[in-house]
Amino acid sequence: MKLSFSNSWRYACSGISVVLMVLSIAIIGWKGLNLGLDFTGGVVSEIRIDKQISATEMRPLLQQAYGSDVSLIAADEPGRWVLRYPAAAGDTTPPSLAQILSPLNTSLEVLNTSIVGPQVGAELAEQGALALLVAVICILGYLSFRFEWRLASGALFALVHDVIFVIAFFALTQMEFNLTVLAAVLAILGYSLNDSIIIADRIRELLIAKPQTPVAEVNNAAIVATFSRTMVTSGTTLMTVAALWLMGGEPLQGFSIAMFIGILTGTFSSISVGTSLPEWLGLTSEHYRPKALPETP
Amino acid sequence: MLIDPILGASHKRRPAAVLNHYAKWKYLVLIVTLIIMALSALPTWFGEDSAIQIPASAGLRLDSQAIATTLQQHQIALKRLDASAQKTLVVLDDPQQQTKAKAVLAGYAASPDKLALALTPAAPSWLLNLGFSPIKLGLDLRGGVQFLLDVDVMPVYQQQGEALTNGLQEFLRSKHLPAVTVRTLNDASLQLNVTADTSSAIRSFLTAQYPQWQVRHDGEQLLLQLIAKEQDNLRNETVQQNLQIMRSRIEELGITEALVQRQGENRIRIELPGVQDPAAAKDVIGATATLAFYEVSPRSVGTLSLPDNQGRRVNVTKQPVITGAHILDARSGAGEMGQAEVNITLDAVGGKQMTAFSKSHLGKPMATAFSEYARDAEGKLTQRTKVISVATIQSVLPERFRITGVGSHQDAQQLALLLRAGSMTAPVTIVEERTIGPSLGAENIHNGFAALALGMAVTLLFMALWYRRLGWVANVALLANMVLLFGLMALIPGAVLTLPGIAGLVLTVGMAVDTNVLIFERIRDKLAEGRSLAHAIDRGFDSAFSTIFDANFTTMITAVVLYSIGNGPIRGFALTLGLGLLTSMFTGIFASRAIINLAYGRNFSRDVRI
Repeated sequence: MKLSFSNSWRYACSGISVVLMVLSIAIIGWKGLNLGLDFTGGVVSEIRIDKQISATEMRPLLQQAYGSDVSLIAADEPGRWVLRYPAAAGDTTPPSLAQILSPLNTSLEVLNTSIVGPQVGAELAEQGALALLVAVICILGYLSFRFEWRLASGALFALVHDVIFVIAFFALTQMEFNLTVLAAVLAILGYSLNDSIIIADRIRELLIAKPQTPVAEVNNAAIVATFSRTMVTSGTTLMTVAALWLMGGEPLQGFSIAMFIGILTGTFSSISVGTSLPEWLGLTSEHYRPKALPETP
Repeated sequence: MLIDPILGASHKRRPAAVLNHYAKWKYLVLIVTLIIMALSALPTWFGEDSAIQIPASAGLRLDSQAIATTLQQHQIALKRLDASAQKTLVVLDDPQQQTKAKAVLAGYAASPDKLALALTPAAPSWLLNLGFSPIKLGLDLRGGVQFLLDVDVMPVYQQQGEALTNGLQEFLRSKHLPAVTVRTLNDASLQLNVTADTSSAIRSFLTAQYPQWQVRHDGEQLLLQLIAKEQDNLRNETVQQNLQIMRSRIEELGITEALVQRQGENRIRIELPGVQDPAAAKDVIGATATLAFYEVSPRSVGTLSLPDNQGRRVNVTKQPVITGAHILDARSGAGEMGQAEVNITLDAVGGKQMTAFSKSHLGKPMATAFSEYARDAEGKLTQRTKVISVATIQSVLPERFRITGVGSHQDAQQLALLLRAGSMTAPVTIVEERTIGPSLGAENIHNGFAALALGMAVTLLFMALWYRRLGWVANVALLANMVLLFGLMALIPGAVLTLPGIAGLVLTVGMAVDTNVLIFERIRDKLAEGRSLAHAIDRGFDSAFSTIFDANFTTMITAVVLYSIGNGPIRGFALTLGLGLLTSMFTGIFASRAIINLAYGRNFSRDVRI
């Protein structure tokens, strides 16, 4: 597989990446995230009832029992619904769903219920943010230890780009951002770097091997050399994530969508901004030339 | 000219004879590892059956044959029945009927509460006898109830403060010094208003008697605070005590697989697999409470009016005689006439107070009140108090005394447990509750494994087509990787497979081939440079290693961070992701090299395409 890769192509892709990133930040700021129960606290119940009952029949009964904040979402199977409402106040136990829906004369199966206290929700959100931060700091530490800072900054920028893009997608579609999606975002952190590091590894190798070649050409050569690998690995990972998306069912939907997008942008960003940024920052083969030992110890 | 080849060889430091050769012991290690892991992974394949565990002490009035016919009458399908001298295990066909079957059988038992819901591996017994067991499934795959409890330790600190205040006032009285006003602040620190002449006496008293308090001087005031280490100690003790109480309570619920675990500083996680009705479990768990003995007052003014079990109001004095904090131990037992009673042991201070009180109140009634805590909408703690018994004081009560007339033996046991729990003044509230129905759990397993199978199939097919000649090696490595991963998950104690965990497995499948892809691409490069296949293999593996390591290491970082910070299901994801990286390195580098060495290691032809 022989690929020619020109500079203008790469710069155009980098431009697109930067524009997308700015757009993403704007979207996150404008729309905000639809945080899941894990972070907000409250009650979520998944139920199965007779298929012919509609939301308009259920809603008034539910609102009467749980207040006006009830949200009622149809799951992908007919007769299956997801209810979400704020946690009941104090020790007053709200009437059971069976009692509330009894006027509808329906069979009722409660598939699952989660009650999360507001305090726990806030804590989980805090923990999640902390996890993200700790992961980024650890990765930063590793990168700066392993690569020259210009090269590392490219990988880091690509990573921030991917995470922001995934979060922006969740802000735009208002899909629920829950703990599992957060796990996906963290997995993307690791995955996005994977691609960047492999290209950076090649760049480093080529810079050491052919110190006379201009950096832009080295970058192109590195991309071409790793392109087949990048495509194969991204391809197999995308395929398995797609399998998860197709078959994994409702609970893994958010996770697989986040991973899918993350892998796509991760591949893209590692080729575009991941290599261009070090170039702009003035990476040369000088930075990988073995340094002469100082004369005085 | 003769020297040249020798130099070349020594420079390579590897004579051509051992190129692409693994020692026999390496193959031995590889094969033994794979066999052990395969055996370890096998029980998971068979899964688990729901069962009812009936210990001999339950006094079931049915023999094995009768159990089978009784269950048949109730349309409960029986799979197997293991009877031994100590216990009978009734293995059911349909996990959905577990609760029903327990209820049916409980009707024939002398002590129905001894019956327990259990899970038993469905694998053949020779496999289980080797010590292998199935992977533990998380609640999201198995169905059940999960609670997160919050232990509020602030009252424990405040209690320490009260003890100090009492001790201090007594000391001042004994020295004929004026009393000081003590204010308890929100963070359980104390503020003392002292005058210049008492200040030094108080301070030396405090350093001698209460070294666990840190004293700060602030003008006319002394600020007292428990030192951090002491706070930690108290918190640990309190949470440990709560854990113990929860464990013993949950034992009564009859769930063999229940998990009671500390989470973070002051949280307790309880997982009850198989339980479908959270209400019953909540009654037992949520009953965490404090306890106090009150003097019953004939007046209704200036007293507390508390409800008893029948809803009648009992007037008691505002100040309790002693609080549950002074109870060291409470045991249920049988009296001389065989009637149920609860024996209580108080600590020295409590004993003194109780003796003094009972001496002056002989023949008068004393109420035992029990308080429960619950959190309201704003997350504030509210207390509900109930009188659980009113007893007449028959004699002067020493440190050890007994309460009789508490009902049946079971009631006495329950009261003893409550009293022991009551000695803990830290209120415990349920802050999170999740119920996963058993059908949803089964659906999650089904979906997760369907996704895994599809992902596997697509990846295997792709690799076989893309790298034709080497593709099968990658596929064997991938299959070996899955065997290792499942085997490890079953072997590691405490490893739990959750739904996000399955997602991690699926992701691992996609990412594990990366190791092989990197190596194969390098081999292709080396072939393109004009090397023979055997040399390309050797150089390819070597040059890919540092890249593989770098790439996997960063994902490992996120897996470790997720594992240490996340909880329950997310931990499951981090675990499969992290373990998957390790096993994929092992199979991708070591195992596939072993295969390639055997298959192509001696192939020095230069015009191979892979």
